Amino acid sequence: MTADPFTMWHPVASEHDVPYRHVHHGQLLGRELAVWRADDDFVNVWENRCLHRGLRLSIGSNDGTELRCQYHGWRYANRSAGCTYIPAHPADAPARTICNRTFSSVERYGLVWSGESPVGDPPTVDVLEAGTPFGLRNLPVDASVELAVRHLQAHRFSPCGRLDAEAPEMTVDGVSDYSVALTARAGDARSTAVFFVQPVDSGRCVIRGVLADAPPAGEQLAVWRHHAIELDRLRVVIEAEAASLPAPEPMVPMLQQVPLHLAEVPDAPAGRQPALRVQVQRKWETAAGVAAFELAPIEGVLPTFQPGAHIDVHLPNGLVRQYSITNGPGESASYRLGVKLEPDSSGGSSCLHETVREGDVLAISEPRNNFPLRRDSNRTILVAGGIGITPLLAMAQALDRMSLPFELHCFAQSAEHVAFADVVDGLGGSVVRHLGLSPDETVAEIRRLVAGYESFANLYVCGPGPMLEAVRREASAAGWPDEAVHFEYFKNTNEIDNSSTFEVALARSAMTVTVPAGATILEVLRGHGVIMPSSCEQGACGTCVATVLEGEPDHQDVYLNDSEHRAGDRIMTCVSRAASDRLVLDL
Amino acid sequence: MIKLYDYVLSVNCYKQRLLLSILDVPYESIPVDFYPGWEHKSEAFKKINPLGHIPVIDDDGYILWDAHAILVYLAAKYDPSGQWYPSGDPERVGETASWMLFAEGTTNTASAARLCVNLEYDFDLEACQAGAHRLFRVLDEHLWFQERRGLDWVCSGAHPTIADLALFPDVILSEEGGISRMDYPALRRWTDRFRRIPGFVTMPGIFPASPG
Amino acid sequence: MAGMAGANGECQNRAVLDQWHPLGAIDEAEPNVVHVTRLLGESISFAVTPEGRSAVWRTRGDLAAGMPVDPESVAGTLPSRCEFLYVWTSLGDPPERSFDIPEFFEPDRRNFNACTIGLRTSAPRAVENFLDMGHFPFVHDGLLGSEPRTEVVDYNVHVDGDTNEVWATECQFWQPAASATATEGQMVDYVYRIMQPYSILLYKSCPAAPERMDLIGLFVQATSEEHCRGHMFLSLIDDESSIGHIRRFVQTIFAQDVPIIENQNPKRLPLDPQAETPIRSDRASILYRRWLSDLGVTYAVIPAA
Repeated sequence: MTADPFTMWHPVASEHDVPYRHVHHGQLLGRELAVWRADDDFVNVWENRCLHRGLRLSIGSNDGTELRCQYHGWRYANRSAGCTYIPAHPADAPARTICNRTFSSVERYGLVWSGESPVGDPPTVDVLEAGTPFGLRNLPVDASVELAVRHLQAHRFSPCGRLDAEAPEMTVDGVSDYSVALTARAGDARSTAVFFVQPVDSGRCVIRGVLADAPPAGEQLAVWRHHAIELDRLRVVIEAEAASLPAPEPMVPMLQQVPLHLAEVPDAPAGRQPALRVQVQRKWETAAGVAAFELAPIEGVLPTFQPGAHIDVHLPNGLVRQYSITNGPGESASYRLGVKLEPDSSGGSSCLHETVREGDVLAISEPRNNFPLRRDSNRTILVAGGIGITPLLAMAQALDRMSLPFELHCFAQSAEHVAFADVVDGLGGSVVRHLGLSPDETVAEIRRLVAGYESFANLYVCGPGPMLEAVRREASAAGWPDEAVHFEYFKNTNEIDNSSTFEVALARSAMTVTVPAGATILEVLRGHGVIMPSSCEQGACGTCVATVLEGEPDHQDVYLNDSEHRAGDRIMTCVSRAASDRLVLDL
Repeated sequence: MIKLYDYVLSVNCYKQRLLLSILDVPYESIPVDFYPGWEHKSEAFKKINPLGHIPVIDDDGYILWDAHAILVYLAAKYDPSGQWYPSGDPERVGETASWMLFAEGTTNTASAARLCVNLEYDFDLEACQAGAHRLFRVLDEHLWFQERRGLDWVCSGAHPTIADLALFPDVILSEEGGISRMDYPALRRWTDRFRRIPGFVTMPGIFPASPG
Repeated sequence: MAGMAGANGECQNRAVLDQWHPLGAIDEAEPNVVHVTRLLGESISFAVTPEGRSAVWRTRGDLAAGMPVDPESVAGTLPSRCEFLYVWTSLGDPPERSFDIPEFFEPDRRNFNACTIGLRTSAPRAVENFLDMGHFPFVHDGLLGSEPRTEVVDYNVHVDGDTNEVWATECQFWQPAASATATEGQMVDYVYRIMQPYSILLYKSCPAAPERMDLIGLFVQATSEEHCRGHMFLSLIDDESSIGHIRRFVQTIFAQDVPIIENQNPKRLPLDPQAETPIRSDRASILYRRWLSDLGVTYAVIPAA
């Protein structure tokens, strides 16, 4: 019986092939692979093709957390292979669905195993499970797997301890379509080796040998040398036969199409639905009154996040709250959040603090990034007020990793109130703590920080409302243009006036609806079957934005800045309304 | 100051620029219109090098040609550490000489294939490619065993030599001659290490490595 | 599956056969001698007279490479013309004129071939790379761009109704050393113009004459579906730099692009919009791909299903 090679696990690299900060160039069943180890030891097996312009990722660079394509500098995250940054559009968050093709990977017996669509787990081999597997040098062979497997059955080598044995006794312990197990005996000495054959292409393969038992340290080099010589001898025979046969047609792997919405229009909308379930892996107090949560996937891989991104957390009490992801680039095994216990909590933070425990399962949305980080600045100032440090921490780590200059200013009541102090300390000298300042002292300090605007500088601020107002005011007075000042409010404290009634026309859907007093644009549109994404639903996060083609918006959000409000070409549909009788939206 | 008769796309001229940069030795690049002017074949240039090839150096009146010979001279004269050409260690001198002869082979196969593809030199492209693959198999195996011994470079010892430097450009530009390095993972790792040497500079066609 | 090629690899795509294709720089071809090259999967020979007239024919045994020949005596020739520095031919029924470059004839310009380089990729991949600004800081670091100035500001694209040429206008990109004398970076203006499926011109703001533009052309000779030769055409107003200096600069840029375009998979340009992921700054290449489809180009591309 011949198994379908596309549903099987195959070795695609040996552990020697994937040192840190390197990208191995491999191939399996005709498909080229880029195989790279992140600093957290996860081994990524990706199609060797940037989905932007088809460039081989194996000529890109592995910075330990992300793989950067050499052509346009697109960055792809460890594990998920999602795109985290597109340098040509530094102000935009890449669409969440831009993701390179990934394949499963498991390290076993010193080999990296993967497959097109492998079923089950990689094979276990009793003799290797029982032993101390010892990897031999891989041997690329210009011949088919069938030929290699056939000749391997007649392969000869000497057992460890008796490498000089003239005529070792060979037995074939097992043969499959893609492997051969052999034992060599001479006197008391015996060695078992399993040779796995990686199908590179129809006429090429790699023989990856593993000895069941590692020789003593002093003999290892001689054993490697012995096997290299014997395998090289075997290769001459295999390749001679392959050369006498007609060359097989190379395999042609199917290249996956990108989703239609990426090929044409940006970002498909999604509702406020929990997309995935995660488990609270760890909960701890990271600062006075701040609980930290580490959320790990129950299965599979978490979606890609970018610095500045947040998720909706669906709480056991039915509330939905937004929290920023604090992780550094490529830290993709879990999301780390910081939650401050609000004294006037309406049940969000108190539920997380008091009810949610390690091991609990929570539903969360996919990450959304309405607070994207530009990375083309000469100077980046990050200003954090209290728990507002959370998105800025992700930004600071991304800039730090790319060796781009930044300053992180942490305003807090005391040193004990600085969340994730260990991560903050790891950022080095560009962090300044401003502790225990009065409101007036805070404003004076902010004035000092933003003095002297220069072009190509960007300011990011997250914190309580009064502090954000102060930063925006002082920056504006110091000559910062609106587009260089980026902010994220925790919540919208504006009194929402929803007393007006108006019409909304949808240009692309050819539909007109009436929004009555008491209802929001978002609610009415959803009631008519329009699928709209949203998150905070209070005009703070920016998820439910729509483009205004005609009419004058009545802005009530805190997401858009003043000049964006004046421009009137975008509207937050969850709180804002129309000042004119009618709005035409590009939906 | 040293004068280097130079062409930006020449692998052999790049070897000199690379060593001079690593050793932090100032020099003046005298551009030779190799293509499309074929200036190195001109009568005027043959007065400098009768063989009509580049690179040539003029070190205060001392003229020397042949890429690998110049590397020996520059390392012997300008490397105070004595590591790039380990003249104080006879065994390593022997290894360096051996691998530099090997590098003549990679130049005459891998780099020749690149000239075939890019500039349509009248060489037997398939023979150049097959020859390069034969040598790369040997080099990949050698470097794999060096790694197992805890060694990063082609010769023994902890420091790279001009043998690494002579091989590197032929190897890293091989794909321009249609010679894939997919089958030579140890060779690919060595090119990462080489590109992280302090003072390393690129030439067109070579990108820097990620930080180690 | 092979593309639009016959059993021996020769092109069968009318839209491509009927174009004018470059074969080599007139200046670099020794007069009255047979030169052999490849075009669209076929072996093609040509010769030029000392006066700059040309003859092009399908390679045949009695006129081998390097043999002396009087170009005007060769029988059974293909259409040919010597224009804009190169010998051009067509394997089909070419239009009377290929395209215009009025600037070429201005008296104070220097026109020359910077280089001809063989590439292991398809002609349209080379053209599309030439059309792209986003890669400047990553591939031409320190010359045409430099991190972190990576933004591609929005620009305009259109197909000219009269000439059916693709234009990308009001393009801008930050260049660290825009001229030999510049010490600081500045925004540089670019205009791109695609005249034929495999020929493109770039108009770039000229430091020597701010109101005029330097021209850099890439005229690609598709030797087969997955191999080509790029002829780099220059028409410059520049009274300071020597030709040698500019040539080295352009050859450097070209050679930096080689490992990129040779490492794109697949080699033939995919025209299906879902084959790759365009972003806003790829507007010009999106239009180029669509325009190739509309022209009926199937050679050296992967046509949309």
